[in-house]
Amino acid sequence: MITLQLVLLVSSALFCLGLAIVLLRRNAIIMLIGIEVMLAAANLNFIAFWRYGAEPGSLTGVVFALFSIAVAAAEAAVGLALILLVYRHFRTIDPGRLPVAHD
Amino acid sequence: MNYLELISHVLPEIAVLVTALVLIGMGCAGGSRGGGKAVLAVTAAGLGLALAAVVFGPESGRLLEGMIVVDALTRLFKAVLLALTLGTALFLFPGGEAGGNEGRGAENSALLLLALLGLLVVVGTENLLLLFVGLELASLALYLMVVFAAPAGRPAEAALRYFFFGSVAAAFLLFGFSFIYGATGSIDLRVIAKVLAAHPVEPILPLGVGLALVGFGFKVAAVPFHLWAPDVYQSAPAPAAGFIASASKVAGFFIVAKVLVLGFGVVEGSADWGAFAMGWAPLVAVLAALSMVVGNLAALAQQSVRRLLAYSGIGHSGFILTALVAANAEAVRAVLFYSVIYGVASLAAFGVAGCVLRARGADRLEDFAGLGRTAPAAAGVLALALLSLAGLPPLVGFFGKFQLFAAALSGGTPGTVPGLLWLVALALLMSAVSLYYYLRVLKQVFFAPAPADAAPTRDTSAGTAVCLVCGSVLVLLGLFPSLVLQPLQRALVQLF
Repeated sequence: MITLQLVLLVSSALFCLGLAIVLLRRNAIIMLIGIEVMLAAANLNFIAFWRYGAEPGSLTGVVFALFSIAVAAAEAAVGLALILLVYRHFRTIDPGRLPVAHD
Repeated sequence: MNYLELISHVLPEIAVLVTALVLIGMGCAGGSRGGGKAVLAVTAAGLGLALAAVVFGPESGRLLEGMIVVDALTRLFKAVLLALTLGTALFLFPGGEAGGNEGRGAENSALLLLALLGLLVVVGTENLLLLFVGLELASLALYLMVVFAAPAGRPAEAALRYFFFGSVAAAFLLFGFSFIYGATGSIDLRVIAKVLAAHPVEPILPLGVGLALVGFGFKVAAVPFHLWAPDVYQSAPAPAAGFIASASKVAGFFIVAKVLVLGFGVVEGSADWGAFAMGWAPLVAVLAALSMVVGNLAALAQQSVRRLLAYSGIGHSGFILTALVAANAEAVRAVLFYSVIYGVASLAAFGVAGCVLRARGADRLEDFAGLGRTAPAAAGVLALALLSLAGLPPLVGFFGKFQLFAAALSGGTPGTVPGLLWLVALALLMSAVSLYYYLRVLKQVFFAPAPADAAPTRDTSAGTAVCLVCGSVLVLLGLFPSLVLQPLQRALVQLF
């Protein structure tokens, strides 16, 4: 039997994993994947709360998850475009090796 | 509800969306040849139509369980956002930021309108789903605006940083919303407030609100979620930076105030000295204190004026959040009023900074030397904007700050020392610090001699007009603040 607590544990672990990827990895595309993992964790939460919630009849949680999947796709498109732009100019996608803006 | 009613309530948004699509079409059709004027005309017409739809549209309504809300407050702020965007659009043209802008004006303008559309959706909703979608629409358009009309290189790097900060903040926001949904079973702010008032608070709710605060903190550039701001403000084309600092911030504060006070007023807690109670108020108080200290002190060390404005914006987020901690009607009024006048002042300041940047190729403090003699109008507007930000009477900044701090002190039990005195004292101190770096800029503008080889600072008539309008708004509202305060007061009565 899968309980709500178990799902929440998994989603929290996913979220922390995604955050760790964004903070620790030095490759912009991998960082983008990390962000997608964080958004997936939130989607999992929405579905779980809907499934175990008081009124599964209203589809709020499902609709929210669907919308956020669409938003995540748009975000990935914009992110990849920016990464491409940066790569063309600097020949690297390691955010740590980009010149840091200063005065 | 029928479709006609629905359409009549979202007519401003439809007008903006259609205009954006028309502009994209013009861009595809190759409107690059001498298309600048046409693009500007279409943009201004679309914004004018949307403004008319706001003014003459329905006065109140709440459709689809709070997804679309029209009342006096949302109408007022939609009008403010449309006006600020019109100002930004006039800065963009003609050939405004030049550089790689030729022939891209239509797409750039379309991005501006899409960002505006996101902000309009955000302002006109009490539903967490639409709030999230609107914020993301605005953010995605803004990431692109930072690089779109800009030379290759630095802006792309700043945009990538902005993107990563923004996306992580959005993920935090979404994760927080999911816990709020789980704890209350609803994503409608009014239902959430009712549920919270009726039931004991679930342990996952504070987690949700805390995570959502991270997302909001990014949107208003509060410390420690501010790291993107200086790079973006400095590297983005001046109009894009102006839009991020004005319209986007106004909408950000509007929505933070609305979500926290309307939805989560019950779990406010307390940040009063010696009477801390857990809730969102202590968290906001910490954000406010950090933002004021870090923003204002870091601004002291800046050489680039746009970077200085970025740090001053971070400091101003702190001032505004200070009042929000009190969370009563007076505080919300002060927060909204100040966010509007901050938006107007930043738009003017970025307009002048962009004009100096075009004329002299950089925006270091030295590049502003002698501006008072070479371009008196621009220098005068810059002085008005900066002094208003510093809070000197008789400019409206003084009145706005006074309201903010008075509202922060109004909380707590009457007759005792106000609980938020510690925060207000810090704010006053930091306000004094801010005067120093604003005066550093003005000293260069009015007292340093212009370099002999200084190129004359020429600006488009549209840009000058916007600057002058912003400047006169700051003076006029300083003398007659009730022009905005009274409508705001009437609108807030409906809300509380």
